[in-house]
Amino acid sequence: MVAGFVGVSLLLESDGLAHWADRLEPGPLRTVAVPATLAIEKTLAPLGVGGVREAALKNLARVGWSDDEAMLAEVASETQAGMGKPGRADSAGHNSPGNSACATTLASPGGNAEPGASGNALAGAASGANTPAGEVSAFAHAPGANASLANSVPKTLALAPLPPVEPGKPRVVALAGDSMMAVGLSATLMRQAASDKNLHIVKAFKSGTGLARPEVYNWMDEYPAMLGAEKPDVVIVAIGANDGQGFVVDHKVLAYGTDAWRQVYQDRLASFLAMVSAGGACVVWVALPPMRVPVYDEKIAAINRIAYTVVSQSPQAIWWNPVSLVGDEQGKFREFETEANGQAMRVRSTDGIHLSDEGAGKLTALLMKWLDPPPLKPSAPIHSPASQPAASSSANAVAPEPQPAAGHKRHPRKTKSQTAKG
Amino acid sequence: MLFPTVEYALFFLTVLAIAWSLYRFKTIHKLFLLLASYVFYGLWNWSYLPLLIGISLFSGLVAQRIQKSPTHRTRKAWLVGGVIVCLSTLGYYKYTSFLMTTMLQVWSRFGTPPHVEVYSPLLPLGVSFFVFHAISLLGDCYRNKVKEPVKIADALLYVAFFPQLIAGPILRASRFLPQLAVKRNPNALRINRAFLLIVGGLFKKVIVSNMLATRLVEPVFAVPQSYGAWDTLLAIYGYAAQIYCDFSGYTDIAIGCALLLGYRFPRNFNAPYTAADPQEFWRRWHISLSTWLRDYLYFPLGGSRKGSLRTYLNLMITMLLGGLWHGAAWTFVAWGGLHGSYLVVHRLWSQIGWGPLVRWRATTGWKWMARILLFHAVCLGWVFFRASTFDLAFQVLGQLRVPGAATLATGPVVLVLFFGLAGQWMPARWRNGFEVEMGRWPALARGAAVAVAIAAIEMLGPTGVAPFIYFQF
Repeated sequence: MVAGFVGVSLLLESDGLAHWADRLEPGPLRTVAVPATLAIEKTLAPLGVGGVREAALKNLARVGWSDDEAMLAEVASETQAGMGKPGRADSAGHNSPGNSACATTLASPGGNAEPGASGNALAGAASGANTPAGEVSAFAHAPGANASLANSVPKTLALAPLPPVEPGKPRVVALAGDSMMAVGLSATLMRQAASDKNLHIVKAFKSGTGLARPEVYNWMDEYPAMLGAEKPDVVIVAIGANDGQGFVVDHKVLAYGTDAWRQVYQDRLASFLAMVSAGGACVVWVALPPMRVPVYDEKIAAINRIAYTVVSQSPQAIWWNPVSLVGDEQGKFREFETEANGQAMRVRSTDGIHLSDEGAGKLTALLMKWLDPPPLKPSAPIHSPASQPAASSSANAVAPEPQPAAGHKRHPRKTKSQTAKG
Repeated sequence: MLFPTVEYALFFLTVLAIAWSLYRFKTIHKLFLLLASYVFYGLWNWSYLPLLIGISLFSGLVAQRIQKSPTHRTRKAWLVGGVIVCLSTLGYYKYTSFLMTTMLQVWSRFGTPPHVEVYSPLLPLGVSFFVFHAISLLGDCYRNKVKEPVKIADALLYVAFFPQLIAGPILRASRFLPQLAVKRNPNALRINRAFLLIVGGLFKKVIVSNMLATRLVEPVFAVPQSYGAWDTLLAIYGYAAQIYCDFSGYTDIAIGCALLLGYRFPRNFNAPYTAADPQEFWRRWHISLSTWLRDYLYFPLGGSRKGSLRTYLNLMITMLLGGLWHGAAWTFVAWGGLHGSYLVVHRLWSQIGWGPLVRWRATTGWKWMARILLFHAVCLGWVFFRASTFDLAFQVLGQLRVPGAATLATGPVVLVLFFGLAGQWMPARWRNGFEVEMGRWPALARGAAVAVAIAAIEMLGPTGVAPFIYFQF
């Protein structure tokens, strides 16, 4: 009985086992599992069971059973090709020239970074808007890929005003990221936006994913599939909570925190940013909040510095750091907070990682005000958005708190590895 | 290590092979299972292993003291002390955050509360379950239901045995410890039964529960105002099916795995949505918890022996605390309160002795009407159970008045919803018959059939594996 079970399982699942082994974190199990499963897969490949399985999965996608966005997109693309229609990439508009919602309106990603931290963040602001989709997957040419690592990240919450929403044409806002978007933030944003006819939300987030391990979840394939035919004007990104881990590149293990690891991760992050902004969308990159466990917090701080390094190189991306909303005065983790009106609330979930609904609600309030600002009061002075600095006094600019002018303390970074979080 | 993963399959197959190779050596066999259980738990988070070992060791030592105590008074003193320590541990890990939040919210109604610099403790996985196991050990020893002297190794394994460690079923010491006292018998294994349970559990969890969660329930409960009445109603039904398939799927796999290792776990679900009254529902839903609450809470409170009013009060207390056991939030308390009130109302209703009503209650028509009524009452409770806040729960319920099409009712969703709910009406004889029929097949064919079934489930299931709902409890 055991022989029957093991034999048929290997026959039917040899592809799946090889895929599973490839997705394991670098370590002893992976070292053993990868060659073993590859050998099994290679031995059984001539029987052609893998092809049958692939065909079955595609058929399931055709009848609407599958939830694998990339598979669904592939099947749709094949169907359209068979019917002589243009592919989904065209219909989704990813090859179209940019119509950036924010490239021309941003003056600064925030003025309180340490000198030299942001570099020439907005130099050539308009050039990135026309990035053709063909360049998106080319890691070597992704903006920010070779930038030197920022020493610290700004705590800015400033968001320059967006162009006004055109009547009858809601602003399309994509929510992208891992559980840092999926838990709390996405729900509060979607609930708020549901009653706002000027906003149309597109869900493009998935928990338990990240940019460090494309073999586990490839955002470069999945994100376009999740968008479908939608063309977002704004993309709000919160990602990276699971990325503090080593990975394998060209059969070589790159340990977390090494220079080689950082370079590859930075490239992947830059490619992702180039992809999400390729259609001309304005990207708001939400910095990850401070974490409760110190070792994990240091990893997240390092991830934030890499993200900021890349984001600050992109003319279409805004670095948005909510630490003053959910952290303490020193920018460290806090679970409970008492508002100025005396209302006490829990701003973080009990896992010490994600935002609570109340904490996410604080971010949402600002983001909603920015995405669909209330109409200008007649008495308010009218400014040209392009001429205003990000934290200007424009009625629609969102800059809730004055930011400290000085830079931030640097903390020694540890590189001890840690398992992925949610 | 979730059950429906390659990691668990490899772990379990390894443990199975080694455990059966050691079955002749009873003590070594048990120590190996204990070690495997600690590895299973440690792979989640090693830092909570000392807590698990500490609680089980403590309960084992106190159980020995209870058994050895010469007088009833000292037995009771040991029991009370042991239960207080166990409940304090559970309270600290599970309810500190809840109490702090509640305290701050109440405080802020009267003035500005202080800044709180402390953090809630991180919740150890399965703490509610292993603490209840520890209390069951103490309670059963106190009531002389454990006849043999408790051995520490047995107590450790009883609390930590990996198939039930994370989310039950909650075993009784009086029924599990005797199993540890005898040598495993490979000839007494019901392998076919175990495989059917595992395959059925995987089907319920991987296909039905996961698909309903991602395609129906989560979208509606995330943004209720985006959906009209039909979608909302479907999502509420969907959650009823999801939580049943999720939890019963987990326990079916747990029972199947234990069976393959030669141990018998109690049945935890028995087609709960076929129940026609709330009492029957609780005899069919999470049976190991409802009987635990009955034996260790409802009966000690006096049960139904102290008059009607006291009975209703005891029912409400038991269900409110049962709700709080599920989660540290007022929505869970409301869920428990709803079920408590259902039980009270049903008792009052049952006591009406008016002849025509008694006769009507015995008709098939009323039975079906009662089933439908009860199912919807249970669904109402699930809304509070699923929603993170009362606002959200009422928003979901409010959407039932908003006209709108069933946009989420795709073919696959409707199909799995049907399986999730209607599957409970499948006659038990079908499964028993299939088990007997399977026993006639050659062993090789049986193994192959199980492998094909698991591969099909893997292909039909959504990508990724969501954690079991009851893991958070």
